[in-house]
Amino acid sequence: MDGMMSRRKKILCAAIAVLIAILFLFPIYWLVQLSFKPDMEAFGRVLTYYPHTFTVSPWQENLDDPVFITSLRNSFINGFLTMGITLLLGVPAAYGMGRYKVRGSVLFLLTFLVSQMLPASLTLTPLYLIFNSAKLLGTHISSPIAIAASSIPFAVITLRPFFRSVPVTLDEAARLDGCGPVRAFFYVMIPAVKTGIITIIVISFLNGWNDLVYSMTFNVGADMRPLTANIYKFQSAYGTKWNCIMAYGTILVLPVVILFIFMQKYIVGGLTAGAVKE
Amino acid sequence: MQKRKISVSAQKRKEAYFFILPAFFYILLVMGYPMVYNAVLSLKNMDVKNLKSGASVFIGLQNYTELFGNETFRLVLKNTFVFTIACLVFQFTIGFAFALFFKQHFPLSGLIRGMILISYMMPMAVTGLLGKNMFMNDGLINDLLKRIGMTGPEWLTNTTYSLPAVIIMNCWVGIPFNMLLLISGLTSIHDDVYESAMIDGAGWGKRFVFITLPLMKSSILAVLMLGFIYTFRAFDLMYIMTKGGPLNSTDVLGTYSYMFSFTQFKFSRGAAVAMVLFACLFVVGMFYLHLLRREEE
Repeated sequence: MDGMMSRRKKILCAAIAVLIAILFLFPIYWLVQLSFKPDMEAFGRVLTYYPHTFTVSPWQENLDDPVFITSLRNSFINGFLTMGITLLLGVPAAYGMGRYKVRGSVLFLLTFLVSQMLPASLTLTPLYLIFNSAKLLGTHISSPIAIAASSIPFAVITLRPFFRSVPVTLDEAARLDGCGPVRAFFYVMIPAVKTGIITIIVISFLNGWNDLVYSMTFNVGADMRPLTANIYKFQSAYGTKWNCIMAYGTILVLPVVILFIFMQKYIVGGLTAGAVKE
Repeated sequence: MQKRKISVSAQKRKEAYFFILPAFFYILLVMGYPMVYNAVLSLKNMDVKNLKSGASVFIGLQNYTELFGNETFRLVLKNTFVFTIACLVFQFTIGFAFALFFKQHFPLSGLIRGMILISYMMPMAVTGLLGKNMFMNDGLINDLLKRIGMTGPEWLTNTTYSLPAVIIMNCWVGIPFNMLLLISGLTSIHDDVYESAMIDGAGWGKRFVFITLPLMKSSILAVLMLGFIYTFRAFDLMYIMTKGGPLNSTDVLGTYSYMFSFTQFKFSRGAAVAMVLFACLFVVGMFYLHLLRREEE
């Protein structure tokens, strides 16, 4: 039914699509344009739709703040640690689930499926109390531990079909060449599912980067918090200085946009496969 | 020969467990154990005062009876359902329409379909910030309304309009996601099914009702249930955009539980709210797993 579209209809569809894109991307434009407005314009009485006077001082103000710089660093730490734990545990588990049939497979799969759906609210209070007695509160690893608990199931469910689709002969050839299971896993299987691994890398990083609730609960000190968890601190410091707040927001969105531009194929594929975000 | 086969399969089993079990135990430790802990906690009276002394005791279902006897909690429960159902209705219908539209092959369809997913990938905290700015009394939304001759309400300071504002922001994130999931369902329907229906003279509406909907049944149910699960547990958006206010009008179970545990430090009360949240998700989640299982077979 697609092949029969006339040229005129195609142009009409493209025009509607552009309208939809404008509507959906406008809030992001709004975020960015506000960050380049001087104070007068950003919270003046008259609303402008683009910076009539262009300035980078809201960005400057953020970048000059040492707490902002540590928060930015903490956001990266959150992202990379979450990614690390997810890759370390999730990828082997996906391989095991995809290539072997053992007793307990159904139980494992069910556990991963269920844990993917659990809300943070359910584990937040107990984890806080557990981390409190384990002296883990206020450390860089506390939030990634919790975030990875939902990234790992995502990795398992997304990657399992990838591993399953690798031909068995590839595995066997490696074994015949004298590879042990671990070597075969690293040198044969991982390269064979590269696409899926990239998806997991991107999405687990974003899970860590985007996290708010764990990071603000487990870290009381502003110097330990990532950007998301320090929004309130900056909001009270800036008051209604929306240009500074939006420069802050733009920096938070920037890695997402960059990853999206270069990795869209992997992100979209991964989201469809795992059908989840967290 | 027989013996060798057994030892090979024992070896295989060992390998499998070597790969799977670390992740499995991690999940049990970081999710399973806290879940049980949370259930136990909800039956106690632990707060910041008896945390250090360890003097908290079991009080049975008192947290729950007090919650359900509390008018604010009932409002929060209602808000959570209103928010979830309203979001589902809009996200699903508009998302479905977008999926049908973007499934077609025309210039830019793939590019734009991907681009609008950015709202889904960005931190919900920033979505909250944006919502806070755009729905200000003299913000973007009311300015746009003024241009078409309407007077916008005081979105975030009026208890009638605060929840709709939060719902709109959430739909901005949810519509692209629903679209994405539904498109993958749609592309699994072969074109020749439609073609033969067209030869039989079925119009667009007929094709949609008699082909698309029945063939999409399982993906529609999956999308609705996943949507329910992810929307019902909302937290970040409200926490940044309205902090549950004004007057609890945008408070949902997630934010309410957080308020008990980490503003008032009544950990057990917060745990009880989280259990109610879990119970609601559990019912829907079981239904979803049942469907998934049927599909695996």
